[in-house]
Amino acid sequence: MAAQGYQLVTVSFLYQFRKAKPEQSTIKIDYRQFKKEEDFQDYCALFEDSGWKHIAGTRYSGTQYFKRVDPNASKDIFSDANSKAGRYKRLSIFYLLSSFIFLFYLLMTSNSIHFSAILNPKLLYYTPGLWEKEGISFWSSFLFETPFAFIRGFGWWIIFLTFALYIFYSVNAAWQYRKSKEIQHFS
Amino acid sequence: MKRNKHLPLTETVYYILLALLEPAHGYLIMQKVEELSNGEVRMAAGTLYGAIDNLLKLGFIQPVPSQDKRRKVYLITEKGKEVLQLDFKRMQHMIKITEVALIKK
Repeated sequence: MAAQGYQLVTVSFLYQFRKAKPEQSTIKIDYRQFKKEEDFQDYCALFEDSGWKHIAGTRYSGTQYFKRVDPNASKDIFSDANSKAGRYKRLSIFYLLSSFIFLFYLLMTSNSIHFSAILNPKLLYYTPGLWEKEGISFWSSFLFETPFAFIRGFGWWIIFLTFALYIFYSVNAAWQYRKSKEIQHFS
Repeated sequence: MKRNKHLPLTETVYYILLALLEPAHGYLIMQKVEELSNGEVRMAAGTLYGAIDNLLKLGFIQPVPSQDKRRKVYLITEKGKEVLQLDFKRMQHMIKITEVALIKK
C-alpha cells in the first residue's frame, strides 16, 4: 500500500489510510496484550529505541503494528525462528479465549434459541392480532416487525458464526505456529 | 546429582543474563549483547521483549526502580546468577575436554 502512495494511519475497527508520497516501507505485526499500562509503554519504548515506530494498537487490542523508521534497524521485529513462531502461539490463544466469550454468551442465552421458529416463523412475531389484520394495516405492521423478528429468531446465528470464525482463526494460527516451528527444525 | 533443568542456556539468554549483572533497560540490553558478542548476536525488539518476559517469569531477572518513566530497568537475581554460573561451568568443562582431545590428535 505504501508503495502505491497510501500511508497507514491507524487501525481501529477498519484500516485507515492517508494519501502520501509513495514509499518503500516495512510494517510488522506483533500480538501482545498488557496487564499494566507501564508494561505497554515499556514495550513501545523498546521498539521505538530500536528503530520501529508503534503506529497502531492499544494495550488491549492484541494486535500491535510497527513501522521501520530507522535504516539501521533490524530487518524484522524478530531475530530468531522461535520468537517468530511464538507470535502465532499468542495469537492462537487470543482467538481461543475470545471465542469462549461468544460460546459463554450462547450458553447463557440458549433459552432464547427458537428451534421451532425455523419451521414456524410466525412464532417470532409478537404484535397482538397481527395475523388477523388485513391489507395496508397488516403489511405495515408485518414489515415493521420483520427486522425485530429476524434478530429474535436468528440473531444467535450471528453469535454462533462469530464463535465458529474465532475457533477457525485460532486453529489457523496454531497451524502457522506448528509450521514455523517445523521450518526451524529443518534449517 | 540431577542437572538444573534450565541448562544449557541459549546463547541469547546467556548474553542477556551477563548484560544484566548491571541494571539496564531493554534497548541498553540490546546494545550490550551486541557488544559482548563482538557484533555476532543482534537481537530484534520483539525477540528481546519475549526473552525478558520469560526471564521475569522464571525469576532470573527482576525490575528495579529507575528515573526513566517509560523504560523499565532490569537486574539479574540471585537465582539468575546461579544458573549463569552453572552454565559457565558447563562450558568451561566442554572447553577443557575439547582442548585435551584436540591437542592429543
